Amino acid sequence: MLKVWTVTKRILVSILPSVVAVALAFGVGALLLLVAGKHPGEAFSTLFMGALGSPNRIAETLVRAVPLMILALGISIAFKSQIWNIGGDGQFMMGATCAVFVGLNLNLAPVLLWPVTFLAAFLGGGLWGGLAGLMRAKFNANEVITTLMLNYIAMHLLSWLIRGPMMDPNGQGFPQTALLAQPLQLPILFGGTRLHFGLIIGLLIMAAGYFFWRTTVGLKIELVGESEHVARYCGIQVPRTIILTMFISAGLAGIAGWNEVFGVQYRLLDDISSGFGNLAIVVALLGNLHPLGIVISAFFFAALMVGGNTMQLMVGIPFSLVTVIQGLVIIFVISRVVYTQWRDGLAIRRFNSRVSGQSSGRSH
Amino acid sequence: MQSDVLTVGFLVSLLAGAIRLSIPILLPALGEIFTQRSGILNLGLEGIMLMGALGGFAGTFFTHNLWFGLLCAVFVGVLFSLIMAFLSITVKANQVIAGTALTILGTGLSAFLFRAIFGIQKLPPQVESFQPLKFPILTDIPVLGPIFFNHNILVYLTLVLVIVTAVVLEKTTFGLKVRAVGENPKAADAKGIHVQLVRYICVAIGGAYAGLGGAFLSIGFMSTFLDRMVSGRGFIAVAVVIFARWNPYRALAAALLFGGADALQMRLQAIGVPIPHQFLLALPYVLTILVLVSVSKKAEFPAAYTLPYTRAER
Repeated sequence: MLKVWTVTKRILVSILPSVVAVALAFGVGALLLLVAGKHPGEAFSTLFMGALGSPNRIAETLVRAVPLMILALGISIAFKSQIWNIGGDGQFMMGATCAVFVGLNLNLAPVLLWPVTFLAAFLGGGLWGGLAGLMRAKFNANEVITTLMLNYIAMHLLSWLIRGPMMDPNGQGFPQTALLAQPLQLPILFGGTRLHFGLIIGLLIMAAGYFFWRTTVGLKIELVGESEHVARYCGIQVPRTIILTMFISAGLAGIAGWNEVFGVQYRLLDDISSGFGNLAIVVALLGNLHPLGIVISAFFFAALMVGGNTMQLMVGIPFSLVTVIQGLVIIFVISRVVYTQWRDGLAIRRFNSRVSGQSSGRSH
Repeated sequence: MQSDVLTVGFLVSLLAGAIRLSIPILLPALGEIFTQRSGILNLGLEGIMLMGALGGFAGTFFTHNLWFGLLCAVFVGVLFSLIMAFLSITVKANQVIAGTALTILGTGLSAFLFRAIFGIQKLPPQVESFQPLKFPILTDIPVLGPIFFNHNILVYLTLVLVIVTAVVLEKTTFGLKVRAVGENPKAADAKGIHVQLVRYICVAIGGAYAGLGGAFLSIGFMSTFLDRMVSGRGFIAVAVVIFARWNPYRALAAALLFGGADALQMRLQAIGVPIPHQFLLALPYVLTILVLVSVSKKAEFPAAYTLPYTRAER
């Protein structure tokens, strides 16, 4: 009984900073709404109902959460290694592109084609991000900038592909590829919703992510992140590990893309990544780079995304408010140090005053 | 087709465009030189520029005074960059994460405030932007006139700022302090330099420049505000700073290179070359990667780059 309480307490203590960060971010969001002359209560309740108000809305939130958690897991792998992969969007698009390309052109039974396209997506994303890893490892090129530039390049590449070589021949000029054949589309879990089999795949990947940190590769990656110096002394080839880290991290982003095209869109579109990349950074950070934390925060931000769309439609509050809240969440999460500094400072001052009080008491 | 590319008219518009489009990269880059020289990597320039673009636009829209708009942009830029300063200097947070947060926040906040202030309209609200100056005689010189003497005043002010930045950094005591703080904060502290204050000031200067850079886009180039108008220029500016090895004059050259790539893709699109326009649009970003790859290995980063300073640490 006591043990249960200790464990619960530990979990509470570990999620408290995240909860406070989210609450503060919403507080500032409410202030912004007041300044803009809107009613925060109405806005946030619409947001809440839009995300979780009915089984259908919950299913919709889960549909958004799956690619988000896979992407964030990928990002967490890079971040733990102190490699700042912010190119999730581009890697997502390249993964989706490769998967759709294989899916449209290879004639195989779904059972065989799924693994092949899955691999294609992993390779597509992984090589795109691995390129940034290579440039970082061999040329010391800042990966924040290269991955971001690769995002823009992937966006334009995708835009060209769906208007050129990969355009749907029967699509009446719409910028999109042909639809993936019906049997290839991932089965729906609950009729009447869009919730598909990808949820289970996503959760399996997250479980694999949990064990990944106990494998040799996982440990190597973590060690490089903690100190390149120490890693080098342990005989780890740092440049190669950096490239590998980016490859795995970006490969997962590609898988997220696979999930989106085979489970939701069934084709390539311009806005296929719909800003998942940036959001995944927030998800990974709020989830403390831990797979379980990421699952929870992915669900939370997916709800925010789905609810934010409803809010925009129903009460005319721009979706950008959700983006503001995302930015604020990161800021408050990394600012929690201020609180501990203040608390420690307070404790020291109290201790000092008590000590000086005692000593003065003795002398008189 | 080739004859179109080789005409004088094409070259003139290309070079004039290169100068004009180098400004929104050069301004944030100059400010970032201050910031990085003091040891802080501010990757939030993109967000600050968006806020500056909005500040400049809103200030001009309501007062019909472009200079007041510019002042608003500087003010907003400084204010917003102080978040970065607080996170990186006081909180000692990871600067990449702080910068990313600032970019996300700036993207959302500028879009939100724009909708909140101006509402949703069919046509975006517009202002009368800075108009090209007309110099007597000079503007009328063939070829050279349209390339060099047909820009708005912000372009020339930015060129002055290049010199000002270089002089302040290399010839003044403040510049010396900045460099000391970026290279060896411990020694600087021992000399009685307030490390954190100098860094705060440098991040704020970077914010002011980035705000101006954003305002150049909204009231010097486009005469309106668009959510995606900065489109990665904040990050390109960081690449320019590394490429220029923290030297303002070299930053000018690098910014002209990127402005040139931007102008080239616009001009080529305009005359309709048979290259998919998406490839042209990707040109500046490809160039950024190539440049980073070619120079980063040899670049000598400030010794205390991205390292927060604490007295207690050894």
